[in-house]
Amino acid sequence: MRIKIIKIFITILFLIIAFNLAYVQGMRGKYYHKLSVFNRIRVVPLEAPRGNISDRNNVLLTDNRVVYNVMVVPQEIKNKEKLFSFLSEALQIDKKKLVQTYNNKKSSQFTPIVLAEDVNRGLLIKVEEEKYRFPGLLIQESFKRQYLLGANSAHVLGYVAKVNKSKLEKLKEYGYSPASNVGYSGVEEYYDKYLRGEEGGVQIEINSRGQQVRLLGLKEPVKGKNIQLTIDSSLQQVISESLSEITGSVIIMDTDTGEILGLENYPSFDPNIFIESQYKEEMVRVLNDLRSPLLNRAIKGVYPPGSVFKVPVAVAALESKKITENTTYLCEGFLEIGGTRFGCTHVHGNQDLFQAIANSCNIYFYRLGLNVGADIISHYAKIMTLGQLTNIDLPYEAQGFIPNRQQKLFNKKKWYSGDTLNMSIGQGDVLVTPLQLVRMMAIIANQGFVVQPHLIKSISQKDADYNKSKRRVAVSQKTFDLIKKGLRRTVQDLSGTAHVLDLPDLYVAGKTGTAQAGEAKESHSWFVGYVDSKKKNITIGVFLEHGGSSQNACLVARQILMRMQEMQIL
Amino acid sequence: MNINITTKIWIYTILIIVVGLVALYSASYNNVRVEQKVFYDQLYFSMFGLGLLFLVSKIDYRKFYDIAYALYFLNLFLLLIVLFSSRHILGARRWLELGIINFQPSELAKLSLILVLARYLCNVRPVVKFDILSRAQKIFREILFPLLFTALYMIFIFKQPDLGTALLIFGIFFVMLYISNLEIKYVFSLLIIFASFLPFVWHILKPYQKDRLLVFLNPNIDPLGAGYTIIQSKIAVGSGQLLGKGWLSGTQNQLNFLPERHTDFIFSVIGEEWGLVGTLIVLYCFFCLIYNLISVVQKTKDRFGVLAGVGIIAILSLQVVINIGMVIGMFPIVGITLPFISYGRSSFLVFIIAIGFILSLSKRRSFF
Repeated sequence: MRIKIIKIFITILFLIIAFNLAYVQGMRGKYYHKLSVFNRIRVVPLEAPRGNISDRNNVLLTDNRVVYNVMVVPQEIKNKEKLFSFLSEALQIDKKKLVQTYNNKKSSQFTPIVLAEDVNRGLLIKVEEEKYRFPGLLIQESFKRQYLLGANSAHVLGYVAKVNKSKLEKLKEYGYSPASNVGYSGVEEYYDKYLRGEEGGVQIEINSRGQQVRLLGLKEPVKGKNIQLTIDSSLQQVISESLSEITGSVIIMDTDTGEILGLENYPSFDPNIFIESQYKEEMVRVLNDLRSPLLNRAIKGVYPPGSVFKVPVAVAALESKKITENTTYLCEGFLEIGGTRFGCTHVHGNQDLFQAIANSCNIYFYRLGLNVGADIISHYAKIMTLGQLTNIDLPYEAQGFIPNRQQKLFNKKKWYSGDTLNMSIGQGDVLVTPLQLVRMMAIIANQGFVVQPHLIKSISQKDADYNKSKRRVAVSQKTFDLIKKGLRRTVQDLSGTAHVLDLPDLYVAGKTGTAQAGEAKESHSWFVGYVDSKKKNITIGVFLEHGGSSQNACLVARQILMRMQEMQIL
Repeated sequence: MNINITTKIWIYTILIIVVGLVALYSASYNNVRVEQKVFYDQLYFSMFGLGLLFLVSKIDYRKFYDIAYALYFLNLFLLLIVLFSSRHILGARRWLELGIINFQPSELAKLSLILVLARYLCNVRPVVKFDILSRAQKIFREILFPLLFTALYMIFIFKQPDLGTALLIFGIFFVMLYISNLEIKYVFSLLIIFASFLPFVWHILKPYQKDRLLVFLNPNIDPLGAGYTIIQSKIAVGSGQLLGKGWLSGTQNQLNFLPERHTDFIFSVIGEEWGLVGTLIVLYCFFCLIYNLISVVQKTKDRFGVLAGVGIIAILSLQVVINIGMVIGMFPIVGITLPFISYGRSSFLVFIIAIGFILSLSKRRSFF
């Protein structure tokens, strides 16, 4: 009985379907037929402007310029010959070139092809006036990224360009098409999914002359989200000026929050060269420049830290209880191990921990290193987060490397005492990024609290809640107190290696480093330290690639700190 | 008469498969997005399928009774594996990758559920007393327990996410409950309770599922996204008019307007190229097949056979109706295939076994 009811039910359902088919194909068939046979549907994508980027004081760093593109829709073209002759004359582009672009970009009958981008208004008027004569010819609005402050913050910002093939493969699922713009490097890449808008489009029914008959559907493009960065563009300017013509990078971070206030490298580049076609030569020059201006040295470059590495070595020694603050080692200016002479800058005499840090005595740290041993040093270097990604919100961060015995043995190489000595003063295979050292210094300034370096302040007015995670490193408070005392004396002592930074009204502490980098080349010059002031506590890292003595880095730091005082930041 | 029905079932099944192959040939003909390989793949698989159909029809259908629970739990396990291990294909995890053979456990789930519900329901003893306790017992035994079987599958399939199949599975449950001679009042209260849950379901839908439902209500909301498919599919079917544009000459189809035209939207190819005459013939073939299947079930005395048979008929009819309805814009876009015509081995295989089951039913009914 119930089966019968089901049978009737199924019959009714099938009849409904049959009637609907009859309606769609029979009654409305002519209409749909017209739409399909003459392909009278035009789908035109509408580009969405990208979100803007501003600095911590709401100074705009980017903008979108409205430009107009001339496009054609293949299926609607009546007389290709005439159309191209007209366009070639109106746009002042060689006809052959136009035809070539057309053939290269043609993918399907109904997808519009961009023949000329960013057409200037004068030429555009001519096209607009004659447009009605040529079905299939369209003028469409589009946007071009502009970097308002030129090279300022270029490495932080990155740039925007058409998505390339390898990237497209990965991003396809997220709705990117070959015509999409996508961020390359910097914040533009890291926060691309927020910055990029949502592409819209119209689907219209047109008549045989290409005029719109009715709107079938419209999806408004949605502008990308605006984001605010933690950097201060005027501070960035100051940093660039102090770095002028000196290869290297400077990072200034808020010690308490991990906000990056300044991050600049020299050499740098103007991101606009990747956008505007008139700068093509400049772009080629930048791409071929041997000093690699595109490299964000602060996070992607790995360098030996030199004497700055003595800080984690001292942490290792204190934590493993191999020394106390009163332990002294005698510096006679050199140390002989296995027939090789390892030297020091001066004959320092008897040195305790504070003096050794302040004077950056190599002999003290050689002896300390041998006493503590390589295993414990690499362990504590890792605890102090060196040789690890900082996970700053920028793409392609480098990890660096902290040597350890197991790995060397694993590679079938012997670990010599000389290796331990080299490691004790941050030479040999020790490689870190400038940002890693800055974060390490912030951990010390914070008595062990790890801050997360970051660049994002807010996304569409909503504060990016950077978890003020209360993660602490496993190092005792006493150790930090002692290390900090030593770092302060580096600046305070007349003989301290960073005495030039003993500025009035500022509490500056830190560590210098002069890292040997290849036989014939100048050493790398480092200063990494922290500054306490009433307004802000900051950590500063100055790295000069082949910059010579660490004094040079200190002088750059001094210049920046003094300017920051003038600017009322400190 | 008996032989007659079986032969008819064979003929209509083969007819539908052939129609599917011809349409698939056109859908993959000179096409950049759908490879020709798809056609040959389906061709070989159809031959294998017909062989399998013959074999299944020879098996005693009571064997399905024996394996019902084992199959149910095996399938449950497969669904779990899919959820936790497999890659996303088209944004959903539906495939199980077994070396060369990729398999969709959610397709098999339909059959497993039908078998397990049929076995469970045919063994439920009617409760004779009418006090409150026995009524609770009745509700528990005849409604809640089968619902549990169904809900487990629904949840995992919904999570894949495959909203269409999840709802379809509820449809099977509902039809089988109805056929199990449960009082009408229970059947309808269940339907009402389920309907009152729908607003909550809205909240757990994925954004694209919400999009599809909204777009169904107004295709112009997002003409380039989900709405595009509906509009284009409607244009394709509609433009076929009375006689169609002819095989291999559908412009919508050949110009790559239609996405997924070899799987869920294959019917739009038929509509465009063969016109109203073609679509009605295809619909008629399905109707005749289903009609004959019903005849077999009506003559069956065995309760398990009837329950499972009706379940199979329900799933077949629902899929045909929903798929065609979706292609012509009557229903929202859900991932439901057109049986025997859409490209896809899992779906094909499951329907072959289902038809085989009823063929086997037709042979044995005289024994009771």
